Amino acid sequence: MAIAKAERLMNLALCLLGTGRPLSKRELRTSIEAYIEVASEDAFNRMFERDKDDLRELGMIIETVESLDGDVGYVARRDRNQLPPVTLDAEEAAALGVAARVWQQARLAGAASGALQKLRAAGMPLAEEERETYSALEPRVPAGEAAFEPLMIACRDRRPVTFAYRKGNAVRADTRQVEPWALECWRGHWYLAGFDRDRGAARVFRLSRIVGRVRSRSGAFTTEVPGQVAVRESVARWAGEHATGQARIRLRAGSGYPLRARAARISAVDADWDELEIPYGHGLDAWLAEFGPDVVVLEPAELRADVVDRLRAVAKG
Amino acid sequence: MATTAIDRTRRMLSLVTYLRERPGARVDEVARAFGISEDELISDLNVLPMCGTSFRGGDLLDIDTDGEHIWWHNADAVGSGTGQPLRLAADEATALLVAARAVATLPGLRDGDKDALLRATAKLEAAAGESAGASSRLSVTFEAEGGVFAVVDRAITERRRLLIRYYSPGRDELTDREIDPIRLFALGHTYVEAWCRRTEARRTFRLDRVARIELLDTPADPPPVEPRDLSEGLVQPAPSDPEVVIEVGPGGRWVAEYYPHDTAEELPDGGLRVTLRTPDPATLRRLALRLGGDGRIVSPPELADSARAAARAALDLYEETP
Repeated sequence: MAIAKAERLMNLALCLLGTGRPLSKRELRTSIEAYIEVASEDAFNRMFERDKDDLRELGMIIETVESLDGDVGYVARRDRNQLPPVTLDAEEAAALGVAARVWQQARLAGAASGALQKLRAAGMPLAEEERETYSALEPRVPAGEAAFEPLMIACRDRRPVTFAYRKGNAVRADTRQVEPWALECWRGHWYLAGFDRDRGAARVFRLSRIVGRVRSRSGAFTTEVPGQVAVRESVARWAGEHATGQARIRLRAGSGYPLRARAARISAVDADWDELEIPYGHGLDAWLAEFGPDVVVLEPAELRADVVDRLRAVAKG
Repeated sequence: MATTAIDRTRRMLSLVTYLRERPGARVDEVARAFGISEDELISDLNVLPMCGTSFRGGDLLDIDTDGEHIWWHNADAVGSGTGQPLRLAADEATALLVAARAVATLPGLRDGDKDALLRATAKLEAAAGESAGASSRLSVTFEAEGGVFAVVDRAITERRRLLIRYYSPGRDELTDREIDPIRLFALGHTYVEAWCRRTEARRTFRLDRVARIELLDTPADPPPVEPRDLSEGLVQPAPSDPEVVIEVGPGGRWVAEYYPHDTAEELPDGGLRVTLRTPDPATLRRLALRLGGDGRIVSPPELADSARAAARAALDLYEETP
């Protein structure tokens, strides 16, 4: 089926791009083999509307022109549909080649190679050995969750969405009505920032916690999209990247390298123990508990109590 | 990856523009320029003669190939409007611009490469026009340790061995090892895939866990290995790896997000029973300690015992250290 559809779209594209005057639906119906074969008028109309939407996905601007006798015609004007002249040298072409390979998500991977092909048709040179000319790096963005594609389109078209969302520690998912602003991938996970209509405030959602389908809603956004959306800052705060104070701990000599790496001060207590001052933020208690008998929290008392609670729960278990 | 009808139409439109300028183009070169196999190209060339502006009028593209060269016999008569490539669509501009901006922010990227990337990004933004706007709705940040990255990049280019001091969180220890780097990749964090001379095996190292790095004069000599297929994710346990069962309450559900697992069954209290495999279950003691009251190891029993013993030993220290 894929061949038949690509062939049909190709024909419609060539007709709309090649014509100097708007073509009526009837003219297109009789010019394109796949349309001739459709018996019912309803089926043809549905197919024609879908095909125009598909060509718009490729970047085509299709204008609808009404003639004096009320007939509607379609045309893709050449001046509005051409890629402006763009000259890329071999180094720039290689750089874009690396960028295009970043996506593992099918829709963006397809769009990236499609863009390269358009640039190639515009004369972008082909490097002799693309891989060798660039840093020995292969950046990859994970394909992401099923929610990614509908949310990407909703962000692009500024369409409100609803989805079921289960917070990290919640038993059940609840329904969120969101005006989606932007998606960001950080540390290999995708996040959505948007306006949560029920809470009346901006929120950040992790895509892996969206349950089931993302549904697009009709109607416009009720709030303005901010120019800068700080997804990462908000996630980083929860990940404990922002310290709110200092903690003093004892750490067994030779252990806990990452704690040492972020310590503001390290001093030896005796042959077995060092004392460290480390930044104290959200989530530090869980992290320190991981080190078991290699860490003893000295202060603050609240952190010490949190770690002891965790250890007691494990000791009982 | 399956090609959709939209992707294929997009490709064939660009192909027509490309061929118009290049009578007698070589099949292998065109396939390479378009990043597709020769078979895919030939199948496109089989569709194009069915395309044109009028099926009944016979105004179809007369494009054919002998398997080596491609000829278009009526380029002047049919296919007007394909002289220039189609403008970039919003998704196309987004895909390239977001990726290019992300790669350009990688610390440690070579200056020359970074310059080329920034130049290309600026040209692309200009060429994309209003289609570039949607790219601000998407962004990607790669984490990379700049200094370590630059040294590894240099070692790969100059084919030299590295001495690294590497942190293993599972064992909470630093080990020194000589490695022959094969490639760098970014998947959330940035990693180097290398042949480890200590274990004589292929290993993947996360750059933010490299505590020290030194470029050696010894040439790197990794045995020929296929790079790992990353499409299935970084952690791909072997079927023979020991099984670990963890039960978590609602507050420990994140375990299923962070640890690749075989199954995660819902429990009546809103928790999960997660079954996963790992070559070295002892490394999960940290997880058990971290979970506290939010979860526990069900099996293997030795692992559950070791977590309990570690927690008791720690509590004893708290008794002694007021």
